Amino acid sequence: MNAPDAGRSRSDTAEAPAARSVPGTSATEAALRLLEAGPDAATAASLEACVRCNLCAESCHVFLADGESASAPAAKVQQVARLYRRHHTWTGRLLPGLVGARDLDDAALADLVASAFGRCSQCGRCTLNCAVGLDPAAAIRFGRAIAAAAGLVPAGIWANVTAALETGNSMRIAPDEVRETITWLEEDLRASTGDPSVTLPVDRRGARVLYALNPREIKFFPLSISAAGQLFHAAGERWTLTATDFDITNYGYFAADDGAGREIARRLYERAEALGVETLVVAECGHGYQSLRWEAPEWLRRTPPFRVVSFVEVLDEYLTAGRILLDPAKNPARVTLHDPCNLVRKGGVIEPQRRVLRAAARDFVEMTPNREKNYCCGGGGGLLAASEYAGRRVQSGRLKAEQIRRTGAAVVVTPCHNCIDQLLELNRHYGLGVEIRTLAEVAADALATSPTR
Amino acid sequence: MTLPSGILLAAFAAAALSLGRARLGIGSVRVRRFAPRAGDAGAGVRYAFTAAFLPWAKESASAHVVSYLAGVLYHAGIFTMLICLLLSLAAPQAPPALAGALAVVFGAALAAGVGLFVKRLFDVALRAVSVPDDFLANLLVDAALAAALAAALVPGAAFVFQLTGAALLLYAPVGKLRHMLFLVTSRRLWGAYYGRRGVLP
Repeated sequence: MNAPDAGRSRSDTAEAPAARSVPGTSATEAALRLLEAGPDAATAASLEACVRCNLCAESCHVFLADGESASAPAAKVQQVARLYRRHHTWTGRLLPGLVGARDLDDAALADLVASAFGRCSQCGRCTLNCAVGLDPAAAIRFGRAIAAAAGLVPAGIWANVTAALETGNSMRIAPDEVRETITWLEEDLRASTGDPSVTLPVDRRGARVLYALNPREIKFFPLSISAAGQLFHAAGERWTLTATDFDITNYGYFAADDGAGREIARRLYERAEALGVETLVVAECGHGYQSLRWEAPEWLRRTPPFRVVSFVEVLDEYLTAGRILLDPAKNPARVTLHDPCNLVRKGGVIEPQRRVLRAAARDFVEMTPNREKNYCCGGGGGLLAASEYAGRRVQSGRLKAEQIRRTGAAVVVTPCHNCIDQLLELNRHYGLGVEIRTLAEVAADALATSPTR
Repeated sequence: MTLPSGILLAAFAAAALSLGRARLGIGSVRVRRFAPRAGDAGAGVRYAFTAAFLPWAKESASAHVVSYLAGVLYHAGIFTMLICLLLSLAAPQAPPALAGALAVVFGAALAAGVGLFVKRLFDVALRAVSVPDDFLANLLVDAALAAALAAALVPGAAFVFQLTGAALLLYAPVGKLRHMLFLVTSRRLWGAYYGRRGVLP
């Protein structure tokens, strides 16, 4: 009996991008070196212990949307495990046919890219629901790492990595452009609020809080910065933005290139240390929070001398401490909440956004399922930057669209700019007719008189 | 010691050595300790080995109740069979008072094992992720369960049970049966991950 190929299709293989050249070595050799070095012990345990029961299939939004066996998490793990077995188990070396072991070659690499990038958003819902208690997402991420070693990360994702490494942010925004945008926003904010004392400080020494941004906010969603500024001002916070190394996004994390991830995170950590802040507040961005709160300390092997928190948690703290007052009557429309996987299921920030939303909106309804069990929107894992998989990304968002529609909400709030981009696209594609907003925007609209002002 | 008992003892030793070597082969688990914790890793681990097994704890169980129950019966039978196999080194024949209960446990486990084999054979998505090892491992376990059932009911069949059990133990380090070892590590890490991050329990 030959080992089946976990539903591989020709179109999958054709989708795989060409390898970027790695000086002095072939792509396959570089990948082979990483494979032979092996994953960490935790990931190896998952690769060893997967019994291919396939009970995780219905936990995956990609599988539920396309119904293809290759989209089931077990099939995606299998793409990696077959290579692992060939190089790390004696049965894989001696009896490859029995255990489905496979040599790492160009075809295997193409399948790996199509599977680990094209069919997985790294949302971790399979991990939460694995009957055995494994981490399929980590196993698939090791597949991404092998692809990264071969220079086969989808070009759009890799472009963000190189931009961040070369310029300090993934959208190549110069510090002067940041300052100009913030200055314009500050003037606009003073005019719109009628409050000349409101400021959007940049690189202010002595600030307690550094509020670090997603570059997309500066380029495309500046009003979310204004909203955060309003809320910091209302809370009487000593805060600052920064014009250099401000970027919370980390496409090294998506690419499973931990070296790049470490370097990108290190810059923001050092910026926060240079400014001497007590708290690094991560703007509304799921993977930014994940990489800065949970991964960066492990990558850098040190605990930062400041707190790393999401802006969602900060808002909740202000609300609980009475530093801001919110009037739900100012947001009368029905609101629902999408849970970003990296912030909620993998990050543990589950209730703060709900407390804020209950205080800020009159009619907040949960989608089903919710919290850590919520479905991925389909845009995670860097897939928004991988245009070659756009069709499947939008298709895999069908479950999210159905969840939203069932709530009858007019507004969908999500504390993640990646999710916002995907939800905007789902809104158009599936004709949902909803408004997509950040938590800060909804909270800022609900601001009542503040006890600190 | 009889010859079948000697073979069984050697098989136990070979399986233990080979599985131990495989566990050492993946190295030590790197403890994530630099990011300040948001919850209790210990509570997560306790949850992983208790309530997380309940049928409503995970979609993989709640959405597949029949497979979940088959899995529970199958593994309950396997654990019982392994204990009986170990005890057979001292007393090849199970006490007659337990024969009926053991027959029920082994019979149910065998039925579950055959059911899971059939499912793997005919479920298109499941077959797509299967390799020959999946079928062979299931057949070996089923054979050992059948032999255990026979040994419980038929006096004198203990040697068949011991030899079949030895074959199973020798195969254990070869393929998917290795999960008996690695799932303990992985499940502990699963609980620690969610516990430390304050996601579960």
